[in-house]
Amino acid sequence: METYFISKANFEALLREISQKFPFYAPRKKGDFLFYERIKPDSLENITLGEIRPIQPLKSFLIPPRRKVGEYFSQNLPASPGEKIILGAKSCDLESLKILDGVFANGDFKDPFYIEERGNIILISSDCTRAQDTCFCTLLDLTPYPKEGFDLNLSLVEGGFVLEVGSEKGKRIVNENKELMEKAGKEQLSQREKRRQDVLNEVKEINKDFESDKSFREIIKDSFNSPVWEEAVEKCVDCGGCNHICPTCRCFLLFDEKGKKGFSRTSLWDACLYTGFARVAAGANPRIKLSQRFANRLLCKFGFFPENLGLDACTGCGRCISVCIGKIDMREVVRDLRVTA
Amino acid sequence: MENPYQPTKAKILKIIPETSNIKTFVLKPEDSLEFRAGQFVQLTVPGMGEAPFTPSSSPYEKEKIEVTVMKVGSVTSALHSLKEENTVGIRGPYGKEYPLSDFEEKETLIVGGGVGLAPLRSLFLALAKNIERYEKVLFCYGAKTPEDIVYKEAVLKNWQNLHPEKIHFRITVDKADGEWKGKVGLVTTTLDDLEEEIKDTEKSPVIVCGPPIMMKFTTFKLLDLGYRPPNIFLSMEKNMSCGIGKCGHCQMGKYLVCRDGPVLTYDKIKDIPTIWD
Repeated sequence: METYFISKANFEALLREISQKFPFYAPRKKGDFLFYERIKPDSLENITLGEIRPIQPLKSFLIPPRRKVGEYFSQNLPASPGEKIILGAKSCDLESLKILDGVFANGDFKDPFYIEERGNIILISSDCTRAQDTCFCTLLDLTPYPKEGFDLNLSLVEGGFVLEVGSEKGKRIVNENKELMEKAGKEQLSQREKRRQDVLNEVKEINKDFESDKSFREIIKDSFNSPVWEEAVEKCVDCGGCNHICPTCRCFLLFDEKGKKGFSRTSLWDACLYTGFARVAAGANPRIKLSQRFANRLLCKFGFFPENLGLDACTGCGRCISVCIGKIDMREVVRDLRVTA
Repeated sequence: MENPYQPTKAKILKIIPETSNIKTFVLKPEDSLEFRAGQFVQLTVPGMGEAPFTPSSSPYEKEKIEVTVMKVGSVTSALHSLKEENTVGIRGPYGKEYPLSDFEEKETLIVGGGVGLAPLRSLFLALAKNIERYEKVLFCYGAKTPEDIVYKEAVLKNWQNLHPEKIHFRITVDKADGEWKGKVGLVTTTLDDLEEEIKDTEKSPVIVCGPPIMMKFTTFKLLDLGYRPPNIFLSMEKNMSCGIGKCGHCQMGKYLVCRDGPVLTYDKIKDIPTIWD
């Protein structure tokens, strides 16, 4: 794919240019964490492009926690605000879009709101420049730098970035701003490769105790009745935090209200960890125990999705580990399943 | 692009009380809605919420659609409080239909329990309409008491006279009252002496719908009687929200009940944990 070099100064010029054309979101650091923020053209400073994934998963843009999906009985769809740029998404988060696309943009029925938002988003991703102890993309055969799924990708090198074109949308931006960049040179590309390998090795080093010949998929496949789940939930408080922060957990609940004009239907994020998630009206509950719900969450990721989309619904972003107030680490749960099996 | 979450209007033409907690709603959708036996629709009580139901009317009935509803939760309670002429929302149909052509020239067994009769009525009416295609239909049904029999007039009289040469009935109640002259016992007892009606259980299809506990014990008995898992059709009652394979609520193993069901054959689901809970 085409690669360019863009200097830091020119990159700022590029941001100024595109931030005037599109609503524009990028990670900013608050304390130890990165959060996507809406960036105004007059305040482009303090954007963090490297580091690791931001706190919010990309699903926040595509299927926000609360989104109106119906107004009845009329046929007016809520209008989409149009194209927007998201800067600084990481490899693990681009990977999560394959799952969301598989659910919302495929099948006999398609989600028109998702499809419109997805089409409107321009993704300028970037390589991770470090790893933290919760990162485990390598255990799922992914890399801390994007290989696909971006419109443009940025890799920090000396004096600027290597910019890679990943789509027609990305090419359009490059073509409109060609004067700001030049073809990437050998030196810059080998520097990119070196930095990528360094971070890759860093992630591998962090996860060396969790390495195994068996994939998560194989380990989890027939594990529903394993005693390991009971042990794993001893520290789980059923908060659903792992569901909500997960970039591929996409479950939602439709909620109806009476409005001023007619009625409205809203889709709200839901969590399969919650007691009532699978409970039917008459009270029967197929996953009444927390351990069953906890197991089902991972069986969905490593059973349901591989069967349905051929993909694991986990990208190793580690948010579920970071968010868990019980300090449950799914890598440890999978390891326990493996050694107990 | 179509908005699949959006219901359209349907008028309640008639409300028929069936038992103390079951009513049948005769609906006229504003936009025509054609379904095949086994598929379901989502009914909306405006501003309140929606719930999935398999229609109980014949799929050949084009003008109206009937839905039989037991009052068990918030949406069904709200439905029960509606009056004739009120408007509800409807969307669908969703899910897979019964493979009726596979039942042709076969001895088809239907086993229903309680309000599980509702979707079976739609299937039964579809089978009865083209009864010449089928070898025979044996309809087994059980209710708690005679008072709890849904579509009493049809079950105990009209259907019995429909095609008596090909369609037979075995009706039972768990507990009789003074008037009841029929069989007493759980619905599984209607499967005793099955060979009198069904000659070849190994090749015959059986359709089961009822409370989970009833489906569980019926399935085990059917297996003992020689029925094969791919021929045992089970209606899976799961929590559903969207009905269109997006929201994740009805996920069961590798299936989504709204997309791959709501009727699934036993061979597909037998190894999935907690299917009867």
